[in-house]
Amino acid sequence: MLAMTGVVKSFGTNQVLRGVSLSVAAGEAVVVIGPSGSGKTTLLRCINLLEDYEQGTVTVDGMPIGYRIDPRGGQRVRMSEREIAAAREMIGIVFQSYNLFPHMTVLQNIVAAPIRVKGVPRAKAEARARDLLALVGLSDKAQEYPVRLSGGQQQRVAIARALAMDPKLMLFDEVTSALDPELVGEVLAAMQQLARDGMTMVVVTHEMSFARDVADRIVFMEGGVIVEEGQPEQMFAAPKTERVRQFLKRYNDRYRI
Amino acid sequence: MMKTFAPLLHSYWYLFRGAGMTLLMAAASVVPATLLGGALALVHVFGRRTARSALQVYLFVVRGIPLLVLLTFVYYLLPLTGIDLPPFWGVVVVMSLYYAAFMSEVFRAGIESLPQAQWDAARSLGMQRHLLLRIIIFPQALRLAAPPFVSLCANLVKATSLVSIVGLWELTMASREVVERTLAPFQIFLGAALIYFCICYTMALYGRFLERRSLVGH
Repeated sequence: MLAMTGVVKSFGTNQVLRGVSLSVAAGEAVVVIGPSGSGKTTLLRCINLLEDYEQGTVTVDGMPIGYRIDPRGGQRVRMSEREIAAAREMIGIVFQSYNLFPHMTVLQNIVAAPIRVKGVPRAKAEARARDLLALVGLSDKAQEYPVRLSGGQQQRVAIARALAMDPKLMLFDEVTSALDPELVGEVLAAMQQLARDGMTMVVVTHEMSFARDVADRIVFMEGGVIVEEGQPEQMFAAPKTERVRQFLKRYNDRYRI
Repeated sequence: MMKTFAPLLHSYWYLFRGAGMTLLMAAASVVPATLLGGALALVHVFGRRTARSALQVYLFVVRGIPLLVLLTFVYYLLPLTGIDLPPFWGVVVVMSLYYAAFMSEVFRAGIESLPQAQWDAARSLGMQRHLLLRIIIFPQALRLAAPPFVSLCANLVKATSLVSIVGLWELTMASREVVERTLAPFQIFLGAALIYFCICYTMALYGRFLERRSLVGH
């Protein structure tokens, strides 16, 4: 479903992604872990070209996004804004700081893109929005403004908003890092349900329990490269790399069954 | 008490007419100033480098020269250039151009103070630039810009008093005429001050109402 090859990204002189390649199969839930500054968030943002990258390509469901390879010369060609916007419809992203539109109600937040971008009729879009709100457990909040919701509620609205575009791939960028611990559970539960329902997802998180329980595959990044990837049971119990062992040590010491 | 305030009580209606001219002048200037200010803000945020450099020069000139000097300068310049423009409209043009600069900065601040995250969220939903500007960025930017914008409008109303220096008639000029006739500057200018205050305070109250309303959803 997702294929990233050789992505290189620098911020000025700081090379944040040093040639990252990642594949995600349809229906697979991949969790990316690693220390701060490892490039995890940048990697995610490159997928739907919220960040531009100097080298590499990204394809989703076989379609390139951001750059395509010119068949004649083999070099990258940047796609037009219209093509990029169309490709972005296939990908839903949920951010650490929710990023709801504060001047719109919850319902308007969710239907804005389906109506204006996809041309879905208002009645149909609103019906779907209410279904999604029920899915994330917020049916009674449709007419509220985001400012009146807790962080966990806003985040769940953000998930519903992303799902409203019927994406083939969902990206989650440390979506619980800004939440009070007591609100984290409700968001992770929503994500777990999505994974069970077969959504292809790439999740960047510090929540190791979630990674262990929900991931089909775990990817460990550091210094702009993927250091190790594998099945959760294997990564947590017997990591191949010393660095991963060290990183997971605190979690394993506390929670080893 | 009534006897000492007789001059004001006799001439307040004349002052009201002057205030009417003040409001007319201000209204005629606010509309082009706002439209131009909005356009300039878009140039400043989205325009190409040459356009933005030209804009910087314009802002620099406006911010560096007092409005009074500009008004007087244009007032004496116009007849020399042969442009046949009634003084009222000459003043309106100068004030529009002057305040457009400040308004453009207010609108620009509204746009630029929106977090990048709003752009990210809109783009990631597949919105293209025109759509996201129209439904995400501008509505929020205008809400943010409304209170300082109203404040600028109040400033503009007060600035109309400067045209009395070049002999144009409005509230301040009317007040000076009455003072010359009645030799009672204190009470006449007290009256004028009260009228200006009523106009500007009403605008300030509206600005505060807009400010409170803009907090909905922020």
